[in-house]
Amino acid sequence: MNIRNIAEKAGVSVATVSRVLNHPESVAPATKKKIEEIIEQEEYTPNWFARGLNFNKTGTIGLMIPHILNPGHMEIAKGVEDVAHQKDYTTFMCNVENDVHKEKKYLDNLIKRRVDGIVLISSLLNGDELQNIVEQNIPIVLVGENKGNANVPIVRIDCHLAACKATKHLLENGYRNIGMLYGDTPEIENMRKVSGYREALREEKVPLKNEYIILAENTIEGGYLAGKRYLELKDPPQAIFASSDLLAIGVIDAMKDNDVRVPEEMAIVGFDNIRMANIVEPKLTTIEKPLHKMGVLGTRLLFDMIEDKDSEVGNKEILLQSKLKIRKSSGHKERIGEMF
Amino acid sequence: MQTNFLGLKMKNPIIISAGPWNRDGLSIKKGLAAGAGAVVTESIVSDAMVDVRPRIAYDGYGAQNTRLYSDIQVEGWEREMAIAKSNGGIVIASVSAHTPSEIAYIASKMEKFGADAIEVNVSNSMGESLEVVASDAEIIFEMTKAIVAHVKIPVTVKLSQNATNISRVAKAVKKAGGSGVSAINSVRCILGVDIETAEPTLSTYGGYSGAPIKPLGLASVATIAQTVDIPICGIGGIVDYKSAIEYIMLGASAVQVGTAVMVNGFEHITQIVKDVENWEKAHDIKNIEQLRGMALPNLKSFDEMKVEPVTSVSDNQVCAENCEKCIKACIYGGISRTKEGVTTDRQLCTGCGLCTFICPQRKLKLAW
Repeated sequence: MNIRNIAEKAGVSVATVSRVLNHPESVAPATKKKIEEIIEQEEYTPNWFARGLNFNKTGTIGLMIPHILNPGHMEIAKGVEDVAHQKDYTTFMCNVENDVHKEKKYLDNLIKRRVDGIVLISSLLNGDELQNIVEQNIPIVLVGENKGNANVPIVRIDCHLAACKATKHLLENGYRNIGMLYGDTPEIENMRKVSGYREALREEKVPLKNEYIILAENTIEGGYLAGKRYLELKDPPQAIFASSDLLAIGVIDAMKDNDVRVPEEMAIVGFDNIRMANIVEPKLTTIEKPLHKMGVLGTRLLFDMIEDKDSEVGNKEILLQSKLKIRKSSGHKERIGEMF
Repeated sequence: MQTNFLGLKMKNPIIISAGPWNRDGLSIKKGLAAGAGAVVTESIVSDAMVDVRPRIAYDGYGAQNTRLYSDIQVEGWEREMAIAKSNGGIVIASVSAHTPSEIAYIASKMEKFGADAIEVNVSNSMGESLEVVASDAEIIFEMTKAIVAHVKIPVTVKLSQNATNISRVAKAVKKAGGSGVSAINSVRCILGVDIETAEPTLSTYGGYSGAPIKPLGLASVATIAQTVDIPICGIGGIVDYKSAIEYIMLGASAVQVGTAVMVNGFEHITQIVKDVENWEKAHDIKNIEQLRGMALPNLKSFDEMKVEPVTSVSDNQVCAENCEKCIKACIYGGISRTKEGVTTDRQLCTGCGLCTFICPQRKLKLAW
């Protein structure tokens, strides 16, 4: 069944059926009702792909997810999908698995399928590669930074400031030997976290120990192995600030296996505030990254561009606030800190 | 009584404030139909989350509210704004966020959806940090500036009484291009504790509103009016026409009513609007400007207050009531009961004035 058959059955032109589908307000009510009934009887659905060609819109957006097993990325993905769904759009979610070739291949595929826009979470593409997509006239938005952001609209947080806050929290709790455990990805954000950590130590005149700064794969396993490395140091730290909750959870696990009590013998602060942070024992003090909100706002910016190609979103940046979420793992004394 | 607030011509100065009573288009429409000069939406945020239950408590005097903001997402407010304005009327969008770029984005969306003005809610007394953002003039300046740069409609900022210097914050709003300020937001509170169970009334801190915060609001409005040349909307504990006029006499161009509407329904607005109009007619007031700031010159510094040798007198007749409230309340021991009844000793009386407020019959007054 196609649009011609419907038109024949209804005794109207193809153009009239098309108007019922696309601009129903322009068709006389009686005609509209008749055509709609036939469409329903025949269970006709318009050829979605052909509609895309006609209107230059396919009602779809793409979403690049660095790693589908990272719960933080799923929170962002939910924010993206929530907005897309409200707009009656379908979201293609692509799991990049931290592989730049995979990301490029997916992007190429999505563009060929004429998605109306793409949200990229912590993209592995560099500035030039992103610029290349922009020049193909495909609206794109970045959520979080990884390699560089060209002039693409972006929703992000100030990782340097957040890390500085997290480190200061540990300093205020009386710790002087603080480790900085950072993940391999996303690169730029994690470098900023390390610089925030360094700044906090400098401000408090606490000497920096290079052996305390450890790089690990950004997973629970990576955190576990790094936790063991910290314990093997001649002079292990009393506290560790990890660049993600996954790493921090891995560190807690390593401490448990080595009979090191958290926070009494090792205080730990994470980053992201994934749902697990509130469940692990002890509950994890962390930086609350507004993950869902980042997805929501990124997608809003994307739709601003999809709906109005001339909109001034252009090089817009939305910088969101990240808050220190104080729980039990950081050895603090003030309960009020957990309230606000 | 028409008023001009933020460049908006309002048929009267009574606005329904931001709060859960204005949670959607339909409730805003009801408020406008009840006669409000304008209605402020519940605070709109980038990413609305679910509410806690219970979240509102009331002790007969004031209310504690822990509801943070609208549960309708930004997209939904396009529809709600259209419903709210379907019969006309002025709708001010209350927006709340944590950074300049975030709040400017929501404000520009609300302008697009048809809001007549923006009220910036950065003084929410619950769910924020120990530091009160609304006390920080620099942050308020940056936020206001970002919004003003992104919208053409007027922008007002809702200020908090929990600020070390409210004038400084109001000045920052003006410098950033804001068209007005509203004061005050609810005050951080714990409504009470059940002493049998040791349970606080609500299980977290909240914002206190209602009649008991009126004196705080009046002082804040007067302070701003005496220091910054910027239109002010008075908020806090307005329950009737008298309290509305008090705010105007201390410098407000308009006022907002919230808790009284929550407790008594939208018809309460109709009553306040009617009573204000009747009072104006009785006093031959044609323009709000005749009233605005009228009480400010009567606010004096300690230096300017004349030391008058007044003492308490019982209106030329000796009191025969048996309440003895004035006797108990006289901290100088100047009031006593004699055979004739209650009398004041003009040697002991220092003219503090407390007894004139304590006497239920208002028999005592200060005189030479």
